[in-house]
Amino acid sequence: MYRYDEFDQHFVDERVAQFRYQTQRYIDGTLSHADFLHLRLRNGLYIQRLAPMLRIAVPYGTLASRQLRMLAHIARYYDKGYGHLSTRQNMQFNWPDLAEVPDILADLATVQMHAIQTSGNCIRNVTADQFAGVAADEVVDGRPYCELIRQWSTAHPEFDWLPRKFKIAINGSASDRAAIDVHDIGLEARRDANGQVVFDVKVGGGLGRTPVLGSLIREALPDVHLLTYLESILRVYNRYGRRDNKYKARIKILVRAMSPEVFRQHVDAEWVHSKDGPTTLTREEIDRTVAAFTPPPYETLEADASLAAKRLVEPEFSRWVHTNVAPHKRSGYAIVTLSTKVTGVPPGDVTDVQMDAVADWADRFGFGEIRISHEQNFVLPDVRERDLFELWQLARGQRLASANLGKLTDIICCPGGDYCSLANAKSIPIAEAIQRRFDDIDYLYDLGDISLNISGCMNACGHHHVGHIGILGVDKKGEEWYQISLGGSAGRDSSLAEIIGPSFSRGAVPDVIDQILEVYVASREDGERFLDCYRRIGIDPFKERIYANAH
Amino acid sequence: MPTLIKDGRVVSDDWVLREEVADSAVTPHTIVPASYALAHGEALSGDIGIWLPGDGEPDEIAPLLVKVPLIAIRFAAMNDGRGLSLAVLLRTRFGFTGELRAIGEVHEDVLHYMHRCGIDSYQLPDGHDPQVALTAMKSLSDFYQGSVLEPRPAFRRFARGRK
Repeated sequence: MYRYDEFDQHFVDERVAQFRYQTQRYIDGTLSHADFLHLRLRNGLYIQRLAPMLRIAVPYGTLASRQLRMLAHIARYYDKGYGHLSTRQNMQFNWPDLAEVPDILADLATVQMHAIQTSGNCIRNVTADQFAGVAADEVVDGRPYCELIRQWSTAHPEFDWLPRKFKIAINGSASDRAAIDVHDIGLEARRDANGQVVFDVKVGGGLGRTPVLGSLIREALPDVHLLTYLESILRVYNRYGRRDNKYKARIKILVRAMSPEVFRQHVDAEWVHSKDGPTTLTREEIDRTVAAFTPPPYETLEADASLAAKRLVEPEFSRWVHTNVAPHKRSGYAIVTLSTKVTGVPPGDVTDVQMDAVADWADRFGFGEIRISHEQNFVLPDVRERDLFELWQLARGQRLASANLGKLTDIICCPGGDYCSLANAKSIPIAEAIQRRFDDIDYLYDLGDISLNISGCMNACGHHHVGHIGILGVDKKGEEWYQISLGGSAGRDSSLAEIIGPSFSRGAVPDVIDQILEVYVASREDGERFLDCYRRIGIDPFKERIYANAH
Repeated sequence: MPTLIKDGRVVSDDWVLREEVADSAVTPHTIVPASYALAHGEALSGDIGIWLPGDGEPDEIAPLLVKVPLIAIRFAAMNDGRGLSLAVLLRTRFGFTGELRAIGEVHEDVLHYMHRCGIDSYQLPDGHDPQVALTAMKSLSDFYQGSVLEPRPAFRRFARGRK
């Protein structure tokens, strides 16, 4: 893991003091509500429906056990004993006291953490594949480059006051677990013919009100030029992105208005000036950062021969291994996803006790490292196969062993109207109603991989456009209704979902999901996934089934 | 009266800002709209400044850059960063070496960004405490990335990493 040097620590400490000064002026009444808003957002602090919400940065979703213990402490001491894993791999607290936020940030700084640029119209936390560094299908470990971008983008003199928020993601594996097609900038890291790291750069993807997949504007960008190229993109966006309408202010609107080709020409015209300039990365700086992510001291292990026997004895364990355990680069090790998706608990919510437990498991069964996935689950990246059974038993005790990864009930869900002041509708009760309706694990397994994503408003924090089934909360004359879409995907075969028709009342949603699944089960060919079936038969059979009685 | 901050202190402002210029009689030490200056380029004396909005195009005022000692960039709102990019371009690509001034919605907590983008004087609107601005400007002492003031990022200035 990356560890702060003196410079990083000094910067974060000064930033805490800066925010303390700003908060004090707000409390004194010398800094206006409207002006403080811009400053607090850049330090992760929203004022929400019920209380402030503090979003803490977990850079590229990677945490050390001592950092997770600090988050548990914050949940316990400053909050109501729980936190929320966000769809951007961050941790959110829903009940901090505004006056205490500088103290929380000071506590975080003691474990090399912060909340810098986790909200506001600036470059946000850079996200990555949650399996980066350990995935069996990895080509390039994106984390060092995420860290280099994190540093470059932190309090950038020119790009902290953009037209709108700006999200960058890096993927370096055969699978795309970072959903790079739906980011403002999506970077595909790969190796060229000489083995050098290069990036394919996509720009202008995003969800929200106008979902778009990113356009490829540069292929095989050498890694040393990464920052100057990003700077060129950001400058074009900062100067020409719309600022008159927040719904048209994302870079995707600019790219579409200019056309990707013309946008690329603008970027290249900028890049002529900065390419090879001082912002160009040096080989030494890249090597230093890569060295911070050198693999931990793995043991030389054979694949665990006893695993098959344990699975035979304990079918539930076997199911969990099948769904929640992914192949690791190293023989005898596995990547474990601890699902937070338990019926009755809002997706992504974790208690202080669970956080402490996960931190302990990371130390005991791994090398003290934890990841947060954008699907709002915890990941333990380095578990010895021989320890899987014991870990599973412990995880069950903490309700973190749902064997539903990638299944219908592994729902991605924003906080929605229960917490968020932007929401048009609640999303958590919808998730719970669906989890309650489809609680038969055999049926879930029979259905296979289905992603169901719920957003409480157009801002699409629940990524509803890229769910195989997407649910969007809408406001109809003061009432909460839900629009359902089908066929989205965030992976390597990304696509945007299509709306099936008029929206539904909250109570009707589980029945509609049931009908969608019935159409799938009746139509699927041998072993065909939901998404593939949908792509083959199209939306009409689903529409006909659902709206049959409405005619 | 707005306060002018320059060189880390409050100074008196010996320039007059004209939103519009109707007649052609411009007295010395007046900041006129860039559009006016472009139209009357030959007649401009050495002590006329120009102002332009944050979305102004530096190419368009390029002929004036050698003539004017002061360019003011108008910030439309605290959170409108276009003027920052404009300042960077004027300093780095167009080589402007005169005074670069921030006017409009200049906020005390944004000065350190402006400063690093090459702006060297700040017209702080009424109701904003200049002492707070001077304190806020110094809240962060060093930065990761390069800037107009210091083009080298941290990793080119000293050895990063744990000792």
